[in-house]
Amino acid sequence: MVSLPIEERLAFQGSMLRLLAERSTEADVRRVMETDAGYDPDVWKALAEIGAVGLLVDPEYGGAGAGPLELELVMEAVGAALLCSPLLTSGVLAAGLLQALGDAEANARLLPGIADGSRIATAALTGSAGTWTPDGVAVRARADGEAWGLEGQASFVTHGQIADVLLVAAVEADGISVFEVDPTAGGVAVKPLPVFDHTLRLAQISFEAAPARLVGKQHAGWNAVEEALGLARVALAGEQAGGGRRVLEFTVDYAKNRIQFGRSIGSYQAIKHMAADLLVESESATSAARHAAAQLAAGAPDAKSAVELAAFACADAFVKICADAIQMHGGIAFTWNHPAHLYLRRARADAQLFGAPAFHRERYVAELEAAHG
Amino acid sequence: MADDAALPVTDDSLREEVRAWLAANWTGPLQSEAERKAWVAKVIEARWAVPRWPTEWMGRGLSDAQARVVEREFAAVGAPGTGQDRTNLWANTLLAGGTQALKEKLIVPLLRGDVGMCLLYSEPGAGSDLAGVRTRADRQGDHFVVNGQKVWTSYAAAADYGMLIARTDWDVPKHRGISFFFLPMEQPGVEVRPLRQITGESQFNEVFFTDAVCPAENLLGELGQGWGVLQTALAYERSAMGEGARGPRSGVSEGPGEPLIALAREAGVLSDPLIRQEIARVIALKKLNALNTARAKADLKQGTTSALMSLGKLAMSRILHEEARVRTLILGAGSVLEGPDHPRAEDANFLTLNAYFTSIGGGTDQIQRNIIGERVLGLPKEPEVDRDIPFREVRTS
Repeated sequence: MVSLPIEERLAFQGSMLRLLAERSTEADVRRVMETDAGYDPDVWKALAEIGAVGLLVDPEYGGAGAGPLELELVMEAVGAALLCSPLLTSGVLAAGLLQALGDAEANARLLPGIADGSRIATAALTGSAGTWTPDGVAVRARADGEAWGLEGQASFVTHGQIADVLLVAAVEADGISVFEVDPTAGGVAVKPLPVFDHTLRLAQISFEAAPARLVGKQHAGWNAVEEALGLARVALAGEQAGGGRRVLEFTVDYAKNRIQFGRSIGSYQAIKHMAADLLVESESATSAARHAAAQLAAGAPDAKSAVELAAFACADAFVKICADAIQMHGGIAFTWNHPAHLYLRRARADAQLFGAPAFHRERYVAELEAAHG
Repeated sequence: MADDAALPVTDDSLREEVRAWLAANWTGPLQSEAERKAWVAKVIEARWAVPRWPTEWMGRGLSDAQARVVEREFAAVGAPGTGQDRTNLWANTLLAGGTQALKEKLIVPLLRGDVGMCLLYSEPGAGSDLAGVRTRADRQGDHFVVNGQKVWTSYAAAADYGMLIARTDWDVPKHRGISFFFLPMEQPGVEVRPLRQITGESQFNEVFFTDAVCPAENLLGELGQGWGVLQTALAYERSAMGEGARGPRSGVSEGPGEPLIALAREAGVLSDPLIRQEIARVIALKKLNALNTARAKADLKQGTTSALMSLGKLAMSRILHEEARVRTLILGAGSVLEGPDHPRAEDANFLTLNAYFTSIGGGTDQIQRNIIGERVLGLPKEPEVDRDIPFREVRTS
């Protein structure tokens, strides 16, 4: 995959950090997370203008044509700022899936709108089992002459309730294909799900003879899904690493300034040792996320195992850092007004999206077994 | 000669010079210890052993970047012997703090590896709190008289000198009354007794001093300034550690690939999902530590200091304890056995015990967490009740 020159990458990262510092403050996050849409359309526009939304989209379709390295850096900033947006959903998962499917007609029709932010697309890849595996797909496709119709249910669809375009994985005959569905069409029912992470939007989508259009080749669907999921997992790993680092930062600051028994609590080994352990977690997550991005960008033979490693290491690290951070703060972080729980909610959601840590650990061992015979 | 060597050297001219010298002299690989010694002597003579050092002491006064050029050229042909200005703990400590007389006597023999050395730091009453040493050195004319006890000393029996910290002033706070010596080991006042470890092995010794004698010229740094010299020595030691942990000792290989996967396959439990999860965790910890180390090195190359460097030892402790735990899990009841007929159990049990070598030795995990918390994260130190009082008033166990 492609990478931008280092100067461009750093300049881009700089504009992303500035935008988030100004437009995704804690107050912004708290305001936006209580809206139905779950994102701020003005900020979304600004993200598109600096090129973040179309980051991965080929320049032919109006994107920046960047790759995993840039994506990972952007997502570190997104995680630190707890940004509420469909960036991962539309700009990474859906755009990645379309590009992996390589359907020129669909790409020309959909990608420019995705890249400039005017169209939000999502991918419905798993049923209520939430496994993100081929056998977790609970939608069936039936050919009706030239046309296709979908039956069944998809769940855990990120930002399904605000999407203009659905890319749906469905089983037909003996393979999985991907279909484009208009969520406003007859036979499509989008039901928002209540989500523990208020900064995230998930939907359950039911299909009853829903009109669908095949994207890419028949039966080639799941390979493309895996490719898109690889990008999404690197993005999530970056978000987890960036989020974890931010939480550790404000927790260490608090430990320096909070005085009990006449001393800052960070001078006590009970707190200091937790902080030291969390630094190992945070730095390891950063290393894992960046390594996965680098291996994927380079098309390295171990890219797959690097992504699996990042997927579970970053997920576990982010949850642990957030959970321990609350304990280290004490009572103040048990209040709604303290941001620690917002990060813990994000960490717990991120740890399940596109496969839980145990799932990735299993795939990691399988990869290593395969590599060594 | 010193003037010549002080002329500015470009990377290119330096590279040419090393290459030409290696082309003319290197005929390796080295076949014997005698050949190795002869080669190292040649490298020292040609001033490639310690290129960062001043010309006065067999060096060339090169910058770190230029010395790396030399090291790369040596590495390219597989020749050892350079880079001792980074790796030779003894010689670097001596250069930093030694008297002219001691340097003239020992620098070259230390670079040649002709002098046996050991560390005389820890005491039964001064482990984590190393500044609490109670071994004493009292000045008598042109020498010091040493009395007390040290522990955890490797290679003490074969050592010619020990790097010793001893108290020379009991009326000042603990860090300010310590001095640093090169103590001659072969004398009646020094007694070495092997110490048996929990693994059953004896790598370490106790060393007892009864009126042992140390010439005054063997004092490094000023009297009472030994804590500062020690910090220099510890920095060299830590940079050499990190990779120091040992693997299984049975010598019976589990075969190619990841050892835990091979072990589980051999034990017939590789399909057990619980075991697979645990294997993944341990391999991941190892890989993450390697990635952190690689990132730390990249940071250093760019000239920024890296917080990652100080995390390696703590991470390694966890890896070793976890690997031993998962080996035990894989073996199940078989892990209760030992002896040559049960090499897998032997390994799991040895590794279980030897993991403490890393989690206690060279600073316990707990001390390591203090260091990370204070020096990396900037958290305040705990108040030290013994810091500013005369050492003779400090409470002991």
